[in-house]
Amino acid sequence: MIAAPRFRLSVDDRRNLRTALPFIAPWIIGFIAFTLYPIIYSLYLSFTNYSGFGDATPAGFTNYQHMAQDPLFWQSLGNTLYYTALAVPIGVVVAIVLALMMNQNLREVAFYRAAFYVPSILPLFALTFIFIVLLNPGFGLVDYLLGLVGIPSINWLGDAAWTKISIVMLAQLGAGGPALIFLAALRAVPGELYEAARLEGAGPLRRFFRITLPLITPVILFDLIYGTILGVQIFTPAFVLAGGTSGGGAYTAGPENSLLFYVFYLYKNAFQYSDMGYASAMAWVLFIISVVLSFAIMKWSQQWVHYESS
Amino acid sequence: MALLPGRGVAASLMAFLLVGAACSSGGQSSGPPLPGCNSGTKQALFWTSHTPPDTDSEQHIVDAFNKQSQTTCVKMVAVPGSETDIAKLTTAVRGGTGPDVYELDRFTVAERAAAGVLEDLTPYGAADLASNYLDFAWKEALFKGKPYALPDDTDARVLYYNKDLMQAAGVDPSQLDISKGAPTVDLVRTIATKLNKKVNGKYTVLGFAPRLNQGWHYTWGFAFGGSFFDSTACKVTPDDPKIVDAFKTMFWDWAGMLGVNDLQTFESTYAPDTPPLPQAQDAFLTGHLGMVVSGDWVLGLIAKYAPNLHYGITYIPVPHQGDTPATWAGGWSVVIPKGAKNAKGGWEFMKFFAGEAGQRTYTQETTHMPTWKSLLNDTALFPGDHALFRKQLDVAHSRPALPVGALYWDQLTIAQSAAEHHSKDPATALKSVADTVNAKLQQYCPLAS
Repeated sequence: MIAAPRFRLSVDDRRNLRTALPFIAPWIIGFIAFTLYPIIYSLYLSFTNYSGFGDATPAGFTNYQHMAQDPLFWQSLGNTLYYTALAVPIGVVVAIVLALMMNQNLREVAFYRAAFYVPSILPLFALTFIFIVLLNPGFGLVDYLLGLVGIPSINWLGDAAWTKISIVMLAQLGAGGPALIFLAALRAVPGELYEAARLEGAGPLRRFFRITLPLITPVILFDLIYGTILGVQIFTPAFVLAGGTSGGGAYTAGPENSLLFYVFYLYKNAFQYSDMGYASAMAWVLFIISVVLSFAIMKWSQQWVHYESS
Repeated sequence: MALLPGRGVAASLMAFLLVGAACSSGGQSSGPPLPGCNSGTKQALFWTSHTPPDTDSEQHIVDAFNKQSQTTCVKMVAVPGSETDIAKLTTAVRGGTGPDVYELDRFTVAERAAAGVLEDLTPYGAADLASNYLDFAWKEALFKGKPYALPDDTDARVLYYNKDLMQAAGVDPSQLDISKGAPTVDLVRTIATKLNKKVNGKYTVLGFAPRLNQGWHYTWGFAFGGSFFDSTACKVTPDDPKIVDAFKTMFWDWAGMLGVNDLQTFESTYAPDTPPLPQAQDAFLTGHLGMVVSGDWVLGLIAKYAPNLHYGITYIPVPHQGDTPATWAGGWSVVIPKGAKNAKGGWEFMKFFAGEAGQRTYTQETTHMPTWKSLLNDTALFPGDHALFRKQLDVAHSRPALPVGALYWDQLTIAQSAAEHHSKDPATALKSVADTVNAKLQQYCPLAS
């Protein structure tokens, strides 16, 4: 039996550590003060009644029990999972297609790369306003174009059946970021594999599905997990669409609460209903949901992710 | 070469000092006076979530205050927020960077006071001012019997109708003349149906949609004689049968009659909430809406953007011929948030802003109404149709001032949406509102008036 090597610092290592610690101390203190402490404090708050001011009073598990009986909690969770289940896989496909387009051997490819990436750096807030105008059923460009091919007008943002689909479409404008990662993955695929496949008579589709796709599966996994974690936190488009910026809207969160996403409901509890305890409990449940989803995707990925080293 | 530990400590200390210097604020209350302020005055910060043209008038009041004050110089800042959303305020107050005065929708004063966001104004002698204000407005400024706000304006709602659209559709607008009393819902429905116009399957003119503009749950609940709160039992009562009837008639049936998707398409095109159209393009002002329930501020918009509009005003429709007409009055207030650095200066400004001078300016410039009682007797402030709104105040309802006011509003809005979309029948939806809100309300009961 071989004993596990003991972790020991040499005199030099210790001296280096002493020197390094003060340099990274600002980050460590910042992390403790602005990340770790709020996380732990929110766990404590989730077991209290707290308005954000004054004293927090202990409440045991009542916030968590209330969640189980709160229909709006379940509706917000359902809306969020619906959105995530649509937006994330579609986002992966759109990002791969964009990356393939960015990877073409064209003289003007640099321009296309910039053009595809530009929407990703625009504020989501501004993009949402642009989308509202584009999707207007009366004078919006999208319905006008659909009308030209005989498709009847759709009230994208006024009909509960279409509101989440609209936000899924909106989310694709941010595909430029993941597309750059996919582009890097595409360029890392060894060219000789394509060469060999071409000699064997494989067409472009076969080369894509047999070579490209398997070799970029680690990046697909990364994008799925990252997209899922961001997806369950969707907030800004719903906040803008539901009139969070102007107030006085006819709906609190879109028609039939169809845009009441989890974090939007959490925000309402925290800042509109002054219920920080309940909002903190919701935040912890969302954290657990994110962890569970991430592990589930990791587990599932064992069946389809191809690592070159293996 | 390894750096000496001492140098590392010195470097990190320097980094801290730099970060600290960058993060520290310059302070806001003791800054130099702004242009228009008197020398030697101390700055007070005033936040409002209003937008023009109301903020134009508020700036005039601030300027007038600054001109005459020898102690305080007010800086007005427009901040994000809405009737029920005060995220900007709460985070700033917690961060120690809040304003000295904030303009808050009055029906949420009790809720924000209960949450601990507001300063009790008793030490400033606010209670001595009570007799100057309309009774309902003053009551909305109280929580547990203590004053937390000064009411700075109020309003009332009526039915506006476009006479030209009616005549073009062969409808006699004199049927709605206010001298005939409140019109019935049936009459308004009959007229509205004649005004509806569709092009390519989409409404281009809508006679009337109960939910548009100020056609809220409270509006129709009051119009149908409903009561939203039982003060004896300390319980909200949205499931009052009269409110259920209002929801059924005005939201469920009406949306069914127009087609909820067609109604939404009209709203998205001509009366969107987000982003709202410029006020000059308001659906009623541009002739796309035949009748609308709205408030006194529309008078100012008509004068500014549609001076040739041939319109009339009458009471909000009632369910049965001869029913007593009803409306409700809302309005805003000014408060001192917790942690205000110049609360004393803020209080001086509040007294001016929500006092006779401030409210006179605001009433004249925005066609809202004052809560300062003596101004209500000044007929010069209520020219033309504004006088009708003035009369409405005597009989107007007001929303219950509850420590769960914002939650109650949102829950009613959810029930309203469910009724319009036929996803939940009004009785079930409103029962659910009662359960949710009462569960939260109980911790504050009994409520001292």
